[in-house]
Amino acid sequence: MLADLNNLMMGLGIALEPYNLLIACIGLILGIIVGVLPGLGGANGVAILIPVVVTMPATTGVILLSSIYWGALYGGSITSILFNIPGEPWSVATTFDGYPMAKKGRAGFALVLSFLSHAVGAIVGVFLLTFLAPLIAEIALKFGPAEIFSVMMLTFSAFVGLGGKSPVKTVAAILFGFALAAVGMDIVSGQLRITFGSVVLMGGFNFIVAVIGLFGLGEIFLTVEEGLKVEGIVGRVTLKDIVDGFKELLLYPKTLFMGAIIGCWMGITPGGATPASFMSYGFAKESAKNSAEFGHGASAGIIAPEAAAHGAGTSATLPMITLGIPGSPTMAVIMGGLMIFGLTPGPMLFKEHADFVWGLIASCWVGNFIGFFMVMAFAPLFAAVLKVQFSILMPAIVYVCAIGAYAVNNRMIDVYYMMIFGVLGYLFKKLDYPIAPMVLALVLGNMAEQAMRQALIMGQGSPLIFFLPPIALPIMIVALTIFFWPVIAPLKDKLLGKKKA
Amino acid sequence: MRTADISIALMFFLIGLILIFDSVRIGFQWGVTGPESGLFPFYLGLGLIICSLLTLRTIFVKYKKDGYKKLLMPEGALKSILWVLIPSTGMIVLTEFVGLHIAAGLFLGFYMRAVGKIGWVTTLLVSILVPLSLYIAFDKLFLVPLPQGLWGGMLIPF
Repeated sequence: MLADLNNLMMGLGIALEPYNLLIACIGLILGIIVGVLPGLGGANGVAILIPVVVTMPATTGVILLSSIYWGALYGGSITSILFNIPGEPWSVATTFDGYPMAKKGRAGFALVLSFLSHAVGAIVGVFLLTFLAPLIAEIALKFGPAEIFSVMMLTFSAFVGLGGKSPVKTVAAILFGFALAAVGMDIVSGQLRITFGSVVLMGGFNFIVAVIGLFGLGEIFLTVEEGLKVEGIVGRVTLKDIVDGFKELLLYPKTLFMGAIIGCWMGITPGGATPASFMSYGFAKESAKNSAEFGHGASAGIIAPEAAAHGAGTSATLPMITLGIPGSPTMAVIMGGLMIFGLTPGPMLFKEHADFVWGLIASCWVGNFIGFFMVMAFAPLFAAVLKVQFSILMPAIVYVCAIGAYAVNNRMIDVYYMMIFGVLGYLFKKLDYPIAPMVLALVLGNMAEQAMRQALIMGQGSPLIFFLPPIALPIMIVALTIFFWPVIAPLKDKLLGKKKA
Repeated sequence: MRTADISIALMFFLIGLILIFDSVRIGFQWGVTGPESGLFPFYLGLGLIICSLLTLRTIFVKYKKDGYKKLLMPEGALKSILWVLIPSTGMIVLTEFVGLHIAAGLFLGFYMRAVGKIGWVTTLLVSILVPLSLYIAFDKLFLVPLPQGLWGGMLIPF
């Protein structure tokens, strides 16, 4: 504990260097803008900037990338409340109550409430990150291939069992992601796979390109389809709003912390901010006495999803730096950035690049702190970005996406892939195939395969190695339970004689 | 909706077949040094096929119950989506010839005039200034080379 605090102080020293501080502020501003714009989200906002970041020192670069994420987390709710347009998928749940409240003339109050909940979610998330990460990294050092594979199983099972989408479709999306990752050279034997002799396919599919297509263009198609109508509410945050917001927040301590904890849980067992916000909203609604108020501007309806979204966002850092398994799609892209710097996320990172890790953790504290004041002070200013006509914004966003997709590998074919992924992303969204687990599968594909094959070699071909105590077995059991949860849950209810709710 | 749902399921089925086909070619069993390259993709393919069959079954049950009327997208949405899809694909194809920045400038101008019905002055200003500033930012400041196409290098004189 004490050693962690010392390390944190060292990290703060790095994060508070003037240059890094400046970069964090730039990242936050970019992130909030990205958060406000529909079609540009945290994941592809980060993806587009990766080529730029490569020119910086590693710590600075990662501070920039993560600051964009924090900014986007804050920014998404501004437009949800003022325009009823969720700037980010994770702020969809905020529109349910945020917009009605703003419509009643309490826009400033709604904004304050949302930012405060964000801040609390962030604090809980960062707190967990600071004190839990070193512990988990210590345990993870003992992991062999079988254990790594079982942790991945757990990760993907969480999507299937807890993701809330059709389990079969979720599995299909995951397998599709793995299949895309398998295209190209086999990292173990060097053999070419699924390329059919084509040079283009030899390079495989880069997940950053997929992220830009799936999240960026897919989202644009969805926005265009719905027909973007900007009917803004003028929101100014007054001192009274801030005081009232604080008081109101203190009335809902349970909702607030439940939201933050659900968020952190969903961030660590990958699910990401989006399902976390919906789940937390649902819980808050169920447990509230005045559930009829929900949907008409209930305070708890803003607090719960916002705290969860930010809790999930920050705590998604935890599995990424300790296990090398990102907790959300945006974290996956940030991890891609780390790997470009030659830093392999995982337990060894704590040992070999302690300064970097603690710089990152400290910048979570600093970034979320500055971000809070930034949105508090300038929310209406950022909202004004949406006043720019959509027919100007849209082509500009496509343009920026194309830059990002090309610059990853300097390959023109990636830009075409981006378009294809865009159409796929749109169809997947419409047909209820989840995108986040597919992206994660694409990112982790090679690692999962390598772990599986190494484990099989160690076990001399017997898959029983994945069920070896003491570490792999319990993880596997939990993973399988969660995986089959959609089947188990109704059975359990039947056995206990419960009626379906 | 139903057609699209079936098509995606069939696409997964096809991908599964391709995976299995290729895995069998490179070997998917236990080789001399351990599992062969095709082992992992083989099971991926198998899983995809099972998933797509399960999805297809659900589709037929579900749509028989709910009817076929539910549309994939609201009326008229296809048109506005194509208005994005076709010009942006055009931009990418054009990039092969004149480079990304010039192509993007043309795309911006086209979309703003044709869809946004924005005045000429704004259109011209935006479609020149945006690519110019991005060109300076990426190509000059951050030294991230972006595609120049066949003739792009000659078209931008600095």
